[in-house]
Amino acid sequence: MLIAVSASLFALGLLGVIARRNVLVMLMCMELMLNGVNLSLVTFAQQTASAAGAVLVFLVFVVATAEIAIAIPIVLLLVRRKAVLDLDAYTDLKG
Amino acid sequence: MIETVLLWLFAGTALAAAALMLVLRHPMRVALALSATMLSLAGVYALLGVHVIAIFQVLIYVGAVMVFMVYAIMLLDVRDYSFARRYSWLLLPGAVAAIAFVAILAHGFWQSLPDQATGGGGPLFGVQQFSIEFLNEYWLHFELVSVLLVAAVVAALAVLEVGRRNRG
Amino acid sequence: MSQLLTTIVLLPLAGFLLNGLLGNRLGARFVSAVGCGLPIAAFAVAVKCFVDLQAAGGAPRIDLAYSWLIAGDNTFEIAFYFDRLAAVMTLIVTGVGSLIHVYSIGYMKGDKSYARYFAYLNLFLFFMLLLVLGRSLLVLFVGWEGVGLASYLLIGFWFEDPDKARAGKKAFITNRIGDAGFLLGMFVLYQALGTLDMDRINAAFTTGAPAVSASLVGILLFIGATGKSAQIPLHVWLPDAMAGPTPVSALIHAATMVTAGVYLVARMSGIYVNAPEASAVIAAIGAATAFFAATIAVVQTDIKKVLAYSTISQLGFMFVAAGVGAYGVAIFHLYTHAFFKACLFLGAGSVIHAMSGEQDIRKMGGLARKIPVTFATFTVATAAIAGIPPLAGFFSKDEILWFAFASTRGGSGLLYATIATTALLTSFYMFRLLWLTFFGRSRMTPEVEHHVHESPLSMTSVLVVLAVLSAIGGFLSIPHFLEALLPLPAIVPALEHYETPLVVASIVLAFAGLAAAAYVYGGAAERAERVRLRFPVLHRILSGKYYVDEAYDALIGRPLVWISERIFLGFGDRTLFDGTLHGLAALGRRTAAGLSRVQNGNLHLYALLALFGIIVSIAWGWRHV
Repeated sequence: MLIAVSASLFALGLLGVIARRNVLVMLMCMELMLNGVNLSLVTFAQQTASAAGAVLVFLVFVVATAEIAIAIPIVLLLVRRKAVLDLDAYTDLKG
Repeated sequence: MIETVLLWLFAGTALAAAALMLVLRHPMRVALALSATMLSLAGVYALLGVHVIAIFQVLIYVGAVMVFMVYAIMLLDVRDYSFARRYSWLLLPGAVAAIAFVAILAHGFWQSLPDQATGGGGPLFGVQQFSIEFLNEYWLHFELVSVLLVAAVVAALAVLEVGRRNRG
Repeated sequence: MSQLLTTIVLLPLAGFLLNGLLGNRLGARFVSAVGCGLPIAAFAVAVKCFVDLQAAGGAPRIDLAYSWLIAGDNTFEIAFYFDRLAAVMTLIVTGVGSLIHVYSIGYMKGDKSYARYFAYLNLFLFFMLLLVLGRSLLVLFVGWEGVGLASYLLIGFWFEDPDKARAGKKAFITNRIGDAGFLLGMFVLYQALGTLDMDRINAAFTTGAPAVSASLVGILLFIGATGKSAQIPLHVWLPDAMAGPTPVSALIHAATMVTAGVYLVARMSGIYVNAPEASAVIAAIGAATAFFAATIAVVQTDIKKVLAYSTISQLGFMFVAAGVGAYGVAIFHLYTHAFFKACLFLGAGSVIHAMSGEQDIRKMGGLARKIPVTFATFTVATAAIAGIPPLAGFFSKDEILWFAFASTRGGSGLLYATIATTALLTSFYMFRLLWLTFFGRSRMTPEVEHHVHESPLSMTSVLVVLAVLSAIGGFLSIPHFLEALLPLPAIVPALEHYETPLVVASIVLAFAGLAAAAYVYGGAAERAERVRLRFPVLHRILSGKYYVDEAYDALIGRPLVWISERIFLGFGDRTLFDGTLHGLAALGRRTAAGLSRVQNGNLHLYALLALFGIIVSIAWGWRHV
């Protein structure tokens, strides 16, 4: 059951990335995805009584933190350029 | 018994808050919903007996990541197009795909997994035991992750520099 | 076993290599010495072989030079075969060839490509000797093609002039068309008999009835002969070939190369004796060509063109003889023709040399006193070709006329009538040429007249030798010499008593031609003009050479060019090949352009596509796990 919850969290997060326009909201949905994955890892760790799952969760924490620490400044700089938080404005890398 | 109820409760809250995230308009409210999800998940971890992770979830995720997120939202309070129109043009296909995704995963996992028991975990997931396990077996990963953090610091510095040059 | 025959063949090849590679560096003296010395040496060796042959009673001698190819049961060797027929041909080729080489020293003096000229001339001699000495049709064919090549190189010798280069090309291509027939004949022969050795082929046809029709092979080989020997319909290259230097015209297009076709037919007599249809075709074409060419020669105004058409005509005579089964007589005429035609061509060369390059006989006249040696030799040769007794041409031509009339293998009154008329025309146009060039008032331009001089000794000595041979050559009866090898056909018994009257008739025809020419051209110039004005249409057709070249161009040349350009180039190459390539490239480009629209910079789309990918991989993984 918790696996289902985890899958749903992940799916919701991914849907948010696809569907929401605001850049910051997209970032938050990516965090949601990571959380969903964490949940499944913890579930497996607890079921199989191995520490590997927990360790991996810990590592995911670190990565998520590092990621946010960089992603938000990047968004800040982007917004400084275009003054718009709408993702559809940032299509300069097309083609 | 009560643990099962609580487990379902926390899980349900997490799901609800996540769903709310997708619907709310104001980014600040979305952030709050995300925090709620995270806290509920922390509760789930605790109920599962993985205390150390629960603590770290609150400390790191809610305490650092979400705070930073809120800070950024406050800084960038821009009422623009994305405020008025929340959803991109891919909402429908995305929804369909997400449902399909969940269905496939569920279908695959349906038969193979037993229902997990609450509690358990025990000393394996106490802080002391966890740390010993971590640094004995997985010290390499620890070191690598610290390298990752160094990289992140350097990247942050680089970003700042760029910003400073542009401004200055 | 001594390789004397191989030596004969290889001496001129050595000359080609030496002159070709070193000639330019070592100077004219070296080139002349090597270029003439080696053919003369070849002639000496040929004489030695001939003496040996006579001592052995005419038994053929075979020298194996090299085993070319052994493929399973099939062996192809380069072997040389020397019997009486080969002896006659070899002596003519090396003898007259050496004389013409000596003549060329004087004629080509000062030319900037002196070494190249002698190199090519020696190369030609090498290939011609391969042709006449080869035992197998394959070796003969190598020589055949080789003389075609040498002819192309020499006709287009002054290739900076595009007309001359084009003449060389025309000769080569027309030859090649004939060679297609030759090749087919060889294929059929090889498939039926398993060998290409000519003596074995002849034996197979005379003793048994082999698995192939003799007439078929005969006609195929004759198609090759029409190309090489300038018979209808492939005669068009020979008049244009006069663009080459005059000694080349003498050697290749009078004495030796064009006679290769006659040699082939005579050599393959075993086939033709058993192929009455093919022989009839040969005789018919020979007679038609002889008549046709003679009529054109009557109106030609270039001294060399007259002689070119005369050559075509005389070759027609030779084929008539071969067609009625008198192969020895054909070779006899070949032999005498080599002498007097070479003498005529070289004499023409001497005239052109004296006239500083002028070749139009309308602008000559009165040269007799000015260049006496040339005049004397030219007269002797003209009398020989006209058939005035007792010069060489009379004997050979008379034999041809006799057999054309009375041979049991195809002789007929019609055939006789055609070539008798041709003989009359021959006498007429040759004496016309003599009169217009040497007699009468001078029609030369003053500067040309001022420079007229007799040719140097290297040229005149050769003329004298050839004139003497034209005079006395007829007394060597070649048909009897070759009779053991090439038996003469039987005479229709009812016609036997016509022999003497026909001889008298030939003499009458020769003198009639002389008289007519003297009358029309010897008197006042207006007489010739009046004759011409009386038959304007005929004159125009003859001057236009019956418009054969134009017909070929319109019927074959232009359609081929059209097909090549429109169908092969336009449609095939551009549309199909280029179109396919460009189409494929365009397809690739358009596909890429279409597919690249995915990358529109929108993160939402990327995320969605990633989700699709995840779903597909999970589904795939779980299906196959």
